[in-house]
Parts: sequence; C-alpha cells; structure tokens
Amino acid sequence: MEDLVESLTRGNVTEVKVLLASVALALGVYQLFLMAVGYGKLRLPFLASRPAARTHRAVGDTILVVVVVVSVMCLAVYGFDEDGRSHGIAGLILGGVLALKVAVVRFGLGLGRVLPLFGLAVFALLAATWLMSAGDFLGEGG
Amino acid sequence: MGEHGRQMLGSLIAAAIIVAITIAIVTAKFGSTSAAEREVREERLEQREEAREERQEQREEGR
Repeated sequence: MEDLVESLTRGNVTEVKVLLASVALALGVYQLFLMAVGYGKLRLPFLASRPAARTHRAVGDTILVVVVVVSVMCLAVYGFDEDGRSHGIAGLILGGVLALKVAVVRFGLGLGRVLPLFGLAVFALLAATWLMSAGDFLGEGG
Repeated sequence: MGEHGRQMLGSLIAAAIIVAITIAIVTAKFGSTSAAEREVREERLEQREEAREERQEQREEGR
C-alpha cells in the first residue's frame, strides 16, 4: 500500500496529503455557509434554503471521499508514530464522528435534531486535524 | 432548468472555484520543494560537479 501511495504521488506524499486536507477544510468552511443558508439562519436573495441544503449534501459527499483518501495515505505511509499521536487521535475521532453523521443523514437513527451539532463537531475536528499536520507543514514554509 | 436548479448549479460552481483557489494557494506555498523538482535539481548539481571534476582531471593531465 505504501508503495502504491508513493508511486501515485510520485514521492510527494506529504504535499498531496496537505493539499487534499486543505481542500477538505476549505470546503468545510463553505459547508458551514451552505447550512447557515439551508437552516434559514442566513437569508440570501440568490440562494434559497433547498438548493443550499442539496449542495451541502453533494459537497459533503466529496469531503467524505477526500477525508477517506487522506486517511488511507496517512495510515499507509506514516502509521501511528509518536510525533503525530495527537494528530492521529484527532483523525480517528473525526472518522468516527463523520461515520456517525453519515449514518444519521442516511438512516435518521432518531438523532436528526442534533445533526447541526454533528456538523459543527466534524468541522472542528477537521480543523484540528489539519492544524496538527498540514497547518504545521505550511507554517514551516512548505 | 428551474430557479432552484440554477441556484444549485451556481453553488456547485462556487465550490469548484473554492477548490481551485485552495489548490493555487497551497501549491504556491510549496514553492519548488516537490520531490520531483528536488530530484531534477540534485541531478543537475551532480552533473555540474562531474563536469567540473572532468575538467580538473583534463587540466592535471595536460600539465
């Protein structure tokens, strides 16, 4: 698996990982905006709540795929090393909360009312995981 | 396409623009530190060093 990731990224595993994680985080910020419109907290003349909620779902699916790809790259190449323990723990919790949120969106599970909290938790964990890895890397100047 | 369809398309295009801007900013931050570019740079340095050594050897042989 490690060789596959290395060859797919042509040896730039960290750079590709940072890029994908940054795209996921940027889309995460956009998700907050979309749901603010979707829940009617933000009223805009050019975007109604229904299309905003639909786009939120589509962008959310995209983020999910990106997060899974980044996680696989991360685990395949770096595993759980001492240096990135907190990043790994944040990533694991993010995976769990994201899976739970998807389950609630698809099957309800009687937790529909707390869906916004799940969304906020996913964003906070995504930001924390990004800060502990990609943010550090970009802060060092690449 | 209805009004909602147009709005959804617009918001998806906005998402694509956000992705493009993020990619541009992050890759600009990387600069020329990618492994492929590093390899090319190292190869060029090695070639220069070899050429210098060759010239030096030729000069020494000429003496």
